[in-house]
Order: sequence, then structure tokens, then C-alpha cells
Amino acid sequence: MNQLDATFTALADPTRRAIIARLATGDATVNELAAPFDMTLPGISKHLKVLERCGLISRTRRAQFRPCHLEWQGLDRAADWIEEARRVWAERFDQLDQHLRDIQREAASE
Amino acid sequence: MNEPAPPSGELIFTRVFEAPRELVFACMTKPEHLTHFWGPAGVSTPIEHIRVDPRPGGVFEAVMVNDADGSQYRMRVIFDEVTEPERLIWTDQDTGMRTTSTFTDLGGSRTEVQIHQANVPEPMRRPEAQQGFLTSLDRFAVYLGALAAGPRDGG
Repeated sequence: MNQLDATFTALADPTRRAIIARLATGDATVNELAAPFDMTLPGISKHLKVLERCGLISRTRRAQFRPCHLEWQGLDRAADWIEEARRVWAERFDQLDQHLRDIQREAASE
Repeated sequence: MNEPAPPSGELIFTRVFEAPRELVFACMTKPEHLTHFWGPAGVSTPIEHIRVDPRPGGVFEAVMVNDADGSQYRMRVIFDEVTEPERLIWTDQDTGMRTTSTFTDLGGSRTEVQIHQANVPEPMRRPEAQQGFLTSLDRFAVYLGALAAGPRDGG
């Protein structure tokens, strides 16, 4: 699975999206992130590992608090993919539009 | 006509063509047509490198060549559904991305084509899982909108 696939998979889970939403307001420790959820610390840690692996969050190595930080580029990459796919289809369909005009004009003049 | 992108890992793209539906469908499935438009701007798709076998399980392959530097990009997808002249569904073998093309006859020789692309990873491909995945992404679109509107603390 490439990083973009991993990003979309990570974002498909509601708990992980809630974690991302929380981190968008500022860095937080595992304990702070676990508080709103009916979930054990190991359960939250598992979600954080998924988010960390695909580059959506990072954790500083200092002290035992290891606050989590949202990596905005990860979200931007997901948005970029959509923009790129949109551009390709727009240009492709501009050309298809021209091609359809050409072949219909040819057919009409025959 | 082209609605804004749902910021969710999904792409929906719509275009209306002044041509009958059968012809538009043929353009999307025949190499002699595809070679005229498949590569985006600045990219050619030579007809000898296009292979289309429009039936479920059939392959759709193309090599696209960058006009500027000659670099090549190979696309390989497998058809999941071919319903002429209404619908094409294929899945990219490298990325797992699934593309649904829907052709709607608007009457008066006008045809609407809607492209729906979703980056659906391997484990999510079962229909029931996919349903949940897309629904989750729809909800995520709301989140992403809220996040984008909020303050960024230094990135």
C-alpha cells in the first residue's frame, strides 16, 4: 500500500478522524487524546501508530509525554491527489470534446 | 457543470458533450478514438500502445508519453463492468483506485459523462466495506472543511 492509500485508509476511521480534528487545534499527549473516548491507552496508541505510519502525525521523542503533532502536509497530499485527478480529467475531456466535434464534422461532410 | 471537489479522496467530475451517447461510449473504449484525447495536455497516447478489451475481467492498457521529455507512464486497469452504452467500471491494478464512468443520454444528441473516482485500498474492496468507506469519507469531507477554516499553528 502506498502512502496515499495508507492516508485514505487512516482517514476512513471515525476515531482517527476525531484525533486529527483534536490535533488541528494544537499538539496533545496520548492521555489528552484518549480522554474523550471510551478507549484504553493501548487502543488509542494503536490508532496513533496508524496515523504516524502514513505521515499524518508525528511524535516528539522528548520526555515521556511525547505530544502528538498534526502534519498538515499529509492532509494536503490527500487534497493534492484530488486536484491532480481533476486536472487530468478536465484536460482529457477538453480533448475528447474537440475529437467529437472533428469526427462529427467529418461524418457530416461525407 | 463541474461541481466542486468533495475533499474526501473521491473525485466526481461531470462534462456534457454535444454527441450521441453511443459515440461518446465508443470514444472511451476504442483505441482509434482514445489516442486522440486520453493523455492530458502535453501527453500523447500512441495508438500502438493502447489495448482495450471491454468486458468484465478485460484489460485496458495504455502507455502515455510526455511530449516534452519523452518520459513514459503506463496505465493498466481491469474492467469490473462494461454496460454499453451506459456504464464502465474499472480498477487500477497498481493503486486499487476504482473509476466509474456513467453515460447519460440528455436527448438532442447530448450526452453527460460522470467520472467517479475513489482511491479504495485493497482491504476495502468488498462491497459492504466499500459502502462504509465511502460514507466515512463523506463525513470526513465535513471535518476537512472545518479544519481548513481553523487556525494552523505553524504547520
